[in-house]
Amino acid sequence: MLLEVTGLHVRYGRTHAVKAVDLHVAEGEIVTVLGANGAGKTSLLRALHGAVKPAGGSIRFAGDDLTAQSSAERVTRGMMLVPEGRQIFVSMSVHENLLMGAYLRRDGDWARDLKSVYDRFPNLAERRDMPASVLSGGEQQMLAIGRALVSRPRLVMLDEPSLGLSPLFVNNLFNLIKELNRDGISILLVEQNTAMALEVASRGYVLELGSLVLEGGADALAGNAALAEAYLGDHAAKPEPDAA
Amino acid sequence: MLFLQQVSNGIMLGSVYVTVAVAFTLTIGVLNFLNFTIPTLFMLAGMLAWALSTWGVPTWGVPFVHIGPMPWQAALLFAVAATVVASLLVERFTFRFLKTRYGDATEHAIPLVSSLGFLLIIENLVRIGYGTDTQRFPGPQADMSVNIGGIFLRVPQLVSLVIVLGIVAGLNWILRHSRIGRGLRAIAENPDAANILGVQANKLVPVVFMLTGLLCGLAGVLFAINYGEVSPQMGDDIGSKAIAGMVLGGLGSIWGAVIGGLIIGLTEMLTIHFFGADTVQVAVWGLLLLTLFLRPQGLFGHHSIGKGKL
Repeated sequence: MLLEVTGLHVRYGRTHAVKAVDLHVAEGEIVTVLGANGAGKTSLLRALHGAVKPAGGSIRFAGDDLTAQSSAERVTRGMMLVPEGRQIFVSMSVHENLLMGAYLRRDGDWARDLKSVYDRFPNLAERRDMPASVLSGGEQQMLAIGRALVSRPRLVMLDEPSLGLSPLFVNNLFNLIKELNRDGISILLVEQNTAMALEVASRGYVLELGSLVLEGGADALAGNAALAEAYLGDHAAKPEPDAA
Repeated sequence: MLFLQQVSNGIMLGSVYVTVAVAFTLTIGVLNFLNFTIPTLFMLAGMLAWALSTWGVPTWGVPFVHIGPMPWQAALLFAVAATVVASLLVERFTFRFLKTRYGDATEHAIPLVSSLGFLLIIENLVRIGYGTDTQRFPGPQADMSVNIGGIFLRVPQLVSLVIVLGIVAGLNWILRHSRIGRGLRAIAENPDAANILGVQANKLVPVVFMLTGLLCGLAGVLFAINYGEVSPQMGDDIGSKAIAGMVLGGLGSIWGAVIGGLIIGLTEMLTIHFFGADTVQVAVWGLLLLTLFLRPQGLFGHHSIGKGKL
């Protein structure tokens, strides 16, 4: 098992954001975590990435317990987060942003990974020396994902990657996720775009108010009408009108 | 000719302001922290250079370990090293301790006030140890000078100017092109995103304080050499002028601090030349206020600086 989360709790002061969550991602899988706003999805990712200390439970990655390890240690071992809202460095050039992805790389191979990111995203190669602030929203998302790829991750965790993208870009994005997965990268995808997420994922979890309320194969979840009404709000289980 | 002589003096004085202003701007740019210990670190370096070359290492009456006066070159070296160590102690007890204890230092007031506390404590410890008098620093031949077309340039001043510009250029190169520099800029812009990519702030923040100590130490000993005297009060005026230079150049901009520091030094000397010493403060601070009215972000500043979150 690549990622194995057991009984994870996250608290911020009096707020109990994540309650006893168990989940796992096998090597080569795409797994999605669904839930409405405020369900605890981002808190879950922050704990998985080490930005917040869990109040309980354990996080194992490739067999090692990383619960108490720093974010840097997790990055070195191959966990990488693409945060909500891209969080690229607008004061840096496109190239410098990608170099930040190689910040902890000590092996000599990162230059090759950087080149393969440029090959994958020719738009970024063209804008190599421009400030990242001039990129369009879609290009910024490519940059955020490219930056993550330069770290040579085994597991990429994406937090609401489709948020704020045009429908065309949303399609490209989900194709890209499938492509990365075919290249051997496991994916943990947190999304509000339920229909698209369940289309690319093989399995899914549903969070509500910090607890897991449903889990199963993507097809079963997609066909689950109760899911739509009970947990996900309006835009679940039926295709996003603007995602086609 | 006297005018040109004053311009040269202004540039020399400005180079001291530049060094201290760069220390200020580096800490503000990366940590969004106005480090009030900077003037006192500057003073500490100058006073230690004097004390070590005049008295030796203080041993507080412990017998048999008396380390006597050392040559001024060694005193300068030890003074700078001690200032770097003092700066790291300040980091440990203002920034890091209070941050780990009280969490997110978006509470700017805590590091700010505790650094102000350090300013007063160090300054008064130096007063208790060495008295409040101005002391003569027995440096190299401070009057050794070259005469270029009638303008006297003192050699130590020329050497310091070159050192200052060299250090600032090196610092700028580090920030622009090295891995550590990118890490520092990442922390400055977005600490969360930097952490996501594995940048460890707790390893890089001490680097900022080390550089601060180095710059202040250098400025302090250069001041001691060039002006031949030191006192526990020497940081007060230099500190406020350096802040003026930094604000003039634009918060967080290294070259802004360089230009700003030089402008303040020149303004000071030329005001003395034309209007006499009484008008200096009015001219310097008036110029600063005028600049802020016309260009609030400073000459080279970026409006996003000062909004950091670390």
